[in-house]
Amino acid sequence: MFEFIEYLTRGALVGVTYGLLAFPVSLLFSTTGSVDVALGAYAVLAAAVLYVIGGPLGVIVAIGVAVFASILVGLISLRLNRPGHIDHIIAVLGTFGLATFIESFILTVFGTNPMIRQPFSTFWDIGGIRVSPQMGINVVVCLAILSALFIVLQKTPFGRAMRASAVNPVGAALNGIPVKQIWFATYVLGGFLAGVAGVLILYTTGADYSTAFNLTIWGFGAAIIFGMHGPLRGFAGGLVIGIVQALSAGYLPGGWATAIPFIFIFVILSLGRMNQIAATGGRV
Amino acid sequence: MRSNTLSRFIPALIVVITIALITPVIAASPFWLDNSVLVAIFSLLALSVGMAYGQAGILSIAPAAFGAIGAYATAIVTARYGMSPLLGLVLALLLPTLLAYPMARAITRLSPLPLSIATILLSIVLEMAIREGGDFTGGYIGISGIPTLWFADSLFSMHILSWALVAGVIILYANLTVSATGRAVKTAKHDPLRATADGINVPALLAVYFALSSSVAGLAGWLYAHHLTYMGPDSLTMHVSIRIVLMAVIGGASTMLGPVLGAAFLTLITLYLPAAETQGMIFGAVLILVLLVAPNGALGTNWAKLFSKGRGRTAAKTANGKNVTGGAT
Repeated sequence: MFEFIEYLTRGALVGVTYGLLAFPVSLLFSTTGSVDVALGAYAVLAAAVLYVIGGPLGVIVAIGVAVFASILVGLISLRLNRPGHIDHIIAVLGTFGLATFIESFILTVFGTNPMIRQPFSTFWDIGGIRVSPQMGINVVVCLAILSALFIVLQKTPFGRAMRASAVNPVGAALNGIPVKQIWFATYVLGGFLAGVAGVLILYTTGADYSTAFNLTIWGFGAAIIFGMHGPLRGFAGGLVIGIVQALSAGYLPGGWATAIPFIFIFVILSLGRMNQIAATGGRV
Repeated sequence: MRSNTLSRFIPALIVVITIALITPVIAASPFWLDNSVLVAIFSLLALSVGMAYGQAGILSIAPAAFGAIGAYATAIVTARYGMSPLLGLVLALLLPTLLAYPMARAITRLSPLPLSIATILLSIVLEMAIREGGDFTGGYIGISGIPTLWFADSLFSMHILSWALVAGVIILYANLTVSATGRAVKTAKHDPLRATADGINVPALLAVYFALSSSVAGLAGWLYAHHLTYMGPDSLTMHVSIRIVLMAVIGGASTMLGPVLGAAFLTLITLYLPAAETQGMIFGAVLILVLLVAPNGALGTNWAKLFSKGRGRTAAKTANGKNVTGGAT
């Protein structure tokens, strides 16, 4: 029983960062109807940059690089996916191109070595479970960012414009909301969050060049579990994904331990959470 | 659209004539024969993307995964149990379909976007399964010593066989595209609501089409295994899938010959590219560039229209008008 609780705690703590990745997925999906497959790649890019530079400057540069990459994706997607000329699959394919590019870039520049930093040598003891203080930092950072986003989305004019363009892009445009700019801002916000997630991941579980697509999948899975309607659901979804990972790593033999979380997301997908847009015949 | 019987054979005829012209030139060179077989294999894989993405609008990031299923099926049957490669062929055609249909049925209820995410999941899980497969799949070492085909045991006959298969698949594919099913798929891609109103069971139709496209990939995997006589976990990975998608997109995913052209272009250009790890950067950049400039690919773009756009609106209009009348006759 103790073991079970330990896995649960560890999983939830790791899942916090997935919650951070889930937010841009759901935000982007509800605003533009598209998915940015390169999210995980921004995170790994940020982790790689911070691994090399280090220190507070490294954190800023790392997040900056992630934001820069997402600006590129935003520009590309705007060109591919103009309002009135919408093909989500092409936009997804474009983000795929960039994800491949970034992955190969990381591989060329930073090599295949796993990148991880352990800033703390002393551990907290919570009810017998050894927890790195870094986990505490992760939880605080994630909660702070998510609450800030929640306030921005719910209380500011910008947030209202964002929600309006998500619900009804045509109506929003008619009311003078710059929908295209909002879309672009959504992509960049996604890059920022992925950059922060990458920084936290470097100090927690580490990353290497091949983690990019997996991180996208975790963020995506976290976003769809409870539906794509708000940041808090994505956060809860992230905890669930983290727990599923920790439990299968704890109780299942090697191969299954890595495969089960993916199969879990597959099951969630086939339960049809994402097909709710189907009611409109695939149109936004 | 002209749909008389003869015009359906034109794409396959072009392939046959091109190969007939090229064969005498490369027949003496094992290097070029080998590459020609690879181009044919990747053409089949790219055609499978063309079917799924170009016709049905389902972006699959798993053509290489379906190919790997076909390749491993025949590798295990022939190299492990010493059975006929023809049994391997049946399995290579059947297994991807049996996997793809229920997968698509569970997910594409209407939206193709989740299905493309699911194909990433499939690729990742399959790669894991192959590595963890122990003696059955050869694990990290893979399966070597896959026998060559007894009816095509030289490079030259393999070259002929693989291109004959490409031509055959193109004929069937062209036939399917102009059939009622093909038209229904096109309608479903552009407007699922309309297709449903026309009495088409859109999810079932898309799932069948996706399953068919995966069996073409399985066929390519069968050729791949018997051509290279080795199959390992790094042979047909998700990175290969991305390259295959790029081939289809460059050439024109919705056309019959576009995927073949793209496969030839990318396979040949890869011969002259630098180290493997930087290739991803080039492929990624090219993919984005193609999507920005000509999202319909080399053969799917109306180039006259694209260039006349720059010269002013009237030019674009006339080009557009010509196209409309040209299409109606």
